[in-house]
Amino acid sequence: MHNDHENHSHEDHDHQHEDHEALVVEDDAGNLESQIIIDALQDVLISKGLLTAPEVTKEIEKLESPGVHLGAKVVVKAWKDSEYKQRLLSNGKSAIQEIGVAVGEAQIVVVENTDTVHNLITCTLCSCYPRSILGQPPSWYISKAYRARAVREPRKVLSEFGLDLDEDIQLIVHDSNADMRYLVLPMAPDEAAQLDSHDLEALVTRDRLIGVSR
Amino acid sequence: MRGYHDIGGDKAGSIPRVELPWLHWEKQVEAIRNLLGDGTRRIISLDEMRRGFESFGEDKYKALSFYRRRLEAMTDILIEKEIISQEELDKAVVEKTILWNKQKTEDDQS
Amino acid sequence: MSTAKAARFAIGDRVRVLDLDKSGHVRIPAYVRGKCGKIVQYCGKYLNPEDLSIGKTSGPAFDLYRVEFTQASLWDEPRNQSQDRLIIEIYDHWLTAA
Repeated sequence: MHNDHENHSHEDHDHQHEDHEALVVEDDAGNLESQIIIDALQDVLISKGLLTAPEVTKEIEKLESPGVHLGAKVVVKAWKDSEYKQRLLSNGKSAIQEIGVAVGEAQIVVVENTDTVHNLITCTLCSCYPRSILGQPPSWYISKAYRARAVREPRKVLSEFGLDLDEDIQLIVHDSNADMRYLVLPMAPDEAAQLDSHDLEALVTRDRLIGVSR
Repeated sequence: MRGYHDIGGDKAGSIPRVELPWLHWEKQVEAIRNLLGDGTRRIISLDEMRRGFESFGEDKYKALSFYRRRLEAMTDILIEKEIISQEELDKAVVEKTILWNKQKTEDDQS
Repeated sequence: MSTAKAARFAIGDRVRVLDLDKSGHVRIPAYVRGKCGKIVQYCGKYLNPEDLSIGKTSGPAFDLYRVEFTQASLWDEPRNQSQDRLIIEIYDHWLTAA
């Protein structure tokens, strides 16, 4: 892998000729080795009485249960109920807990997209994400390229996701570096009042909740 | 001082728009870390694990996948805090490897 | 979110992020160190990750703020518009009045 600083001029906007920043993944041998190490670690921890196998199984189920469906529930409730929306924007965690979602994070900051504002979420230092609501972050969210570039050239990053943001719109990038976790509240469709919750939830995608889609 | 994980603003190529499946061992790493950090155990915090992968060297950090980094950091910190020893872990890894090879042989023969 | 009376900064205050030369685990990325921004939210008191990373869980807790920067003050990127912003969380001990 070469050094991007030296080999790429800053003016290079040609996506086709730009290097693809490959995600580091384990090969089959690496996956097997990792499975063996974590099984071994689990055994050692169990032998010391620090955890039990059923606890691990239950925790895995807990990790698997959140997802975009929970985020969609929150968003649609806010679209349909303006008082709920105000509560959600002033204290995300308590408003999300109100509808029965167990929030593990210290606080959830909900940022609202409007006609004039667009929000984008990233974490440059690791890959912080509102996991107790949305589950695991997508692979690209944890990539070096997204973490490095979303703060510096967010409009170019958005174009790669197919969103060419109007120059008049204010773009606000949120780097979730510390204790808050973030969720974008996308704009309600014009016909929101006519649609039922089920149809509205189908309009809420994970990418809109991160802000790479509007 | 700037850590090798502190990459905000660095130049990088296009975003790898991939959606990879979440593997069982990766879930197990997260589950065990969560349990070890919960309110009743308080054995290893998220920030301790982060210190682990932020200090095990840039080459290793860059070569490992996201969850493998977390696995390596978790075992490093558990050994550092003398919750487990390297010998205990190595012994368990050998046992698990033998078990896996045996399982594989049986599968290949069936 | 609540506003703590004891907090050193109020919403709207101009602040500069200190460039503390700390080794070890810190959560303030290099790209905001030395930069000037504006307090937009008080988040409450949180344990310092620098302490937590070495197993020190007894505190003290620090005030945490969300600080907003103009993108133009962070980098020279032609596609960023003058109204574009970046918001990041900064612990009290990394801030000074600007």
